[in-house]
Amino acid sequence: MRRLLDGGIRFYLILVLVFLYLPILVMALLAFNKSPLYGLPFEFDLVWFDALANNKRLLTAGWNSVWIALANTLIATSLGTMAAVAFGRYSFRGKTLLQALLFPPIAIPWLVIGTAMLVFFFWSGIGRGLHSILLGHVALSLPYVIFVVGARLNDYPKALEEAAATLGATPWQVFRRVSVPILAPGVVAASLFAFAVSFDQFVISYFLAPPGVTTLPVEIYTSIRKGFTPEINAISTIIIAVSMGLMLIVARFYRFGGERSGNE
Amino acid sequence: MTPTTRTRWAILGLTGPAYLWLAGTIFLPLTAMLVLSFLDKSPLVPQPASFTLANYQAYFSKSFYWPLTRWSIELGLWVTLFCFLIGYPAAFALAKRVKGRWREAIFLLIVLPFWSNALVRVFSWTMVLRSNGIVDVAVQSVFPGAPTIDLLFSYPAVIIGLVHSYLPYMILTCYIALQAIDDSLIEAGRSLGANRFTTFYRVILPLSLPGIVSGAALIFVPVIGSFMEPRILGGTKGATLGMNIEEQFTVTANWPLGAALSFILLAIVLVIFGILYPVLRRQGGGA
Amino acid sequence: MSEVAVIGAVKRYGQVVALGGVDLTFADGEFFGLLGPSGSGKTTLLRAIAGFIDMDAGEIRVDGTDIARIPVHKRNIGMVFQNYALFPHLSVAENIAFGLDVRNVPKGEIRARVGESLDLVRLSGLEGRRPRQLSGGQQQRVALARALVTRPQVLLLDEPLSALDKHLRQEMQVELRRIQRQIGITTIFVTHDQEEALTLSDRVAIFNQGRVVQAGAPREVYERPVNRFAAGFLGEANFLQGKVVEVAGAAARVELASGGQILVPATGLSVGAPVLVALRPEKISIDPAPADAAVAPNRILGKVSAAIFSGSSLTYRVAAGDQTVIVFEQNKSRAPLAEGSAVVLDWPVADNVVVAP
Repeated sequence: MRRLLDGGIRFYLILVLVFLYLPILVMALLAFNKSPLYGLPFEFDLVWFDALANNKRLLTAGWNSVWIALANTLIATSLGTMAAVAFGRYSFRGKTLLQALLFPPIAIPWLVIGTAMLVFFFWSGIGRGLHSILLGHVALSLPYVIFVVGARLNDYPKALEEAAATLGATPWQVFRRVSVPILAPGVVAASLFAFAVSFDQFVISYFLAPPGVTTLPVEIYTSIRKGFTPEINAISTIIIAVSMGLMLIVARFYRFGGERSGNE
Repeated sequence: MTPTTRTRWAILGLTGPAYLWLAGTIFLPLTAMLVLSFLDKSPLVPQPASFTLANYQAYFSKSFYWPLTRWSIELGLWVTLFCFLIGYPAAFALAKRVKGRWREAIFLLIVLPFWSNALVRVFSWTMVLRSNGIVDVAVQSVFPGAPTIDLLFSYPAVIIGLVHSYLPYMILTCYIALQAIDDSLIEAGRSLGANRFTTFYRVILPLSLPGIVSGAALIFVPVIGSFMEPRILGGTKGATLGMNIEEQFTVTANWPLGAALSFILLAIVLVIFGILYPVLRRQGGGA
Repeated sequence: MSEVAVIGAVKRYGQVVALGGVDLTFADGEFFGLLGPSGSGKTTLLRAIAGFIDMDAGEIRVDGTDIARIPVHKRNIGMVFQNYALFPHLSVAENIAFGLDVRNVPKGEIRARVGESLDLVRLSGLEGRRPRQLSGGQQQRVALARALVTRPQVLLLDEPLSALDKHLRQEMQVELRRIQRQIGITTIFVTHDQEEALTLSDRVAIFNQGRVVQAGAPREVYERPVNRFAAGFLGEANFLQGKVVEVAGAAARVELASGGQILVPATGLSVGAPVLVALRPEKISIDPAPADAAVAPNRILGKVSAAIFSGSSLTYRVAAGDQTVIVFEQNKSRAPLAEGSAVVLDWPVADNVVVAP
């Protein structure tokens, strides 16, 4: 009975995983298929990746996405880490309010935030373009960075920094030799999150991209709506591989689910 | 400079940049849009605009918007329900039945797709659901001559795609809540004479409720604001409020109306949070 | 090695007075325990000496020099934290070397001194381990070695043993005392464990509401508490309330509110004065009451309302009138007295300590 139950549980979890991965695998498979119209039998070919290499629009959009994601990572990680340090190491009036203000960017539908940015950037003269897309991405990434770095900071007591001071370390030495090494894994994880948030972001970019300037998700959406080309399979496969790879690295630095093994 | 002033400057210096950024990109824009929703002309039009309630009146007076809103909310409910039905047992199995290395691996596999591109994942379903897609081919090969199955551009397609997108949220929040339940509580329940079902119903389910509720909030909110998923998987069927808002901004360029609709959407979201908040509050947040 | 003097230390947090004018002198080489309930100011004082707290007023003199305005890292103190605060990213040796490293001590000397410290705390061979690979007791030793290797003028211990289990705690108490004696460093430690304070300290100070209630050698503070708080906080005490009815030579006769009479030292007492007497439970002898038992001064009749057996000793709760008297008795050959049995309690006059309310 017990074994049957365990078997059933395993089977169920496998079914869930199949549901999650089936479409992605199908898409990846079709990206390597020669026929443009999902024609079976499957015939391995890199023809769509070749086509991709010559698709200027997609490539430009791809580079735009990469640069925005990198800039976003740099800005959001620095600003977010600073704020997380303030929250983790000082108590001050208004802290709870400031922390509560991190929820709107996460909890309000992106559609609302995106259109609001469109309106405000138009009114204020900031306008649309890659710069305003970057502005928006950083805003969405900041809460994640602050939460991830903050969680790391909470795991380590302030006493560590105090101990260093009693041992004769100057504030700068405390920062460099204690705070930075302890925070590093959290900051690395946060920066990967920030990269992923930006690289995958569609809705905000969609509203802030002027005609002719796109990021990869926006370009893909336009292509899907215009009519399908199998190159989208190819580029999508690359995107999925990149973001999943990133998250695997995050997982190495940052434990999900609040479970910590004994010898960690 | 006294140490306290120094501390104050440190706090200001550390939090200032991040919050200035959020003010300029989230809070000011929301305020701007609120103002816009009361204007009678789009800022794209050069003439000066004046204040009006017409945009909100349009929503309540035209029967056109009600089915959109209803479908958006229904979609949110269906997707949340299915995520719960599929995700809760998975989270339970993972938290209480699978141990060690396997748990970590499966957990990682579940959260992984949720950080990959949402648009691409929705798009990938088009290849599974369309006629001559994987589902169709599979059915045809088992039952030759069965009618062609084309789920693409249908209500179920939208729901399937959204469930796929948001299922990891539900598994994640439920898993965290279930994991925090001490096994001794379950044993205590059983030692008091409760059978498996009663223990689950009276002990485990209430204790994991915050996880379920936060999962539901995390799913419901983005789903009722969705426009890209219904557009790709639903086509012309099942227009949502989100799709209409998008059109106001990108196609018809009636920004004030779009802004008003956005705030109505936001109001619905706030009402949902208002309903769910006490549950989260009472249980101390769970996670 | 140094003498530390705290003079007029005041610290307020809004309406809350954390330190309400504390004066204490810690003699050179002394092991000094700060005791008190949480929020009594003992930890605030320790953290003020360390330099984490800016006092509103007062001085902290180390060998005559006021260090109250000097930043933490220039104070030359050693501190052991409650949960040790070992740097998780550094090995044992690197943890200990940290204080020397930031002072730019030459590499060779660092190695030698880290080695000495490891010997001192008996951890040689564990240099390369990470803190999380050590047991609680070992982490404690590393924290101590790290605090001492810089040869500080004062050693501050913030509840250093509270995270250890009972057995290990006792072992570490002996260790701590041995090491402190060996290097003779002035040591100030905060604890809420009274037994630990009595065992380790040359002197203790009891804190309440930001003030020092009493300071002195452990035995003195225990045997001669100055007020109800000191008597009740350090060890168990029975409090007997009454009025002086007669002063005869060195002794005063006190009529207890609950009935019966006791004799107390007469110092400073006059007839009619209200008196509060603290009486330690272990000073009282308890015996079955004979049939013709008569009341006499320092002799009370009562009934056992509860007898609690805890191995080496017994705790009795005796009802005498409306007063409950707690009595500790060593577990000797006699069978424990049954609950409900009539007993007679008596004790020497000198053990009646008159305390301020």
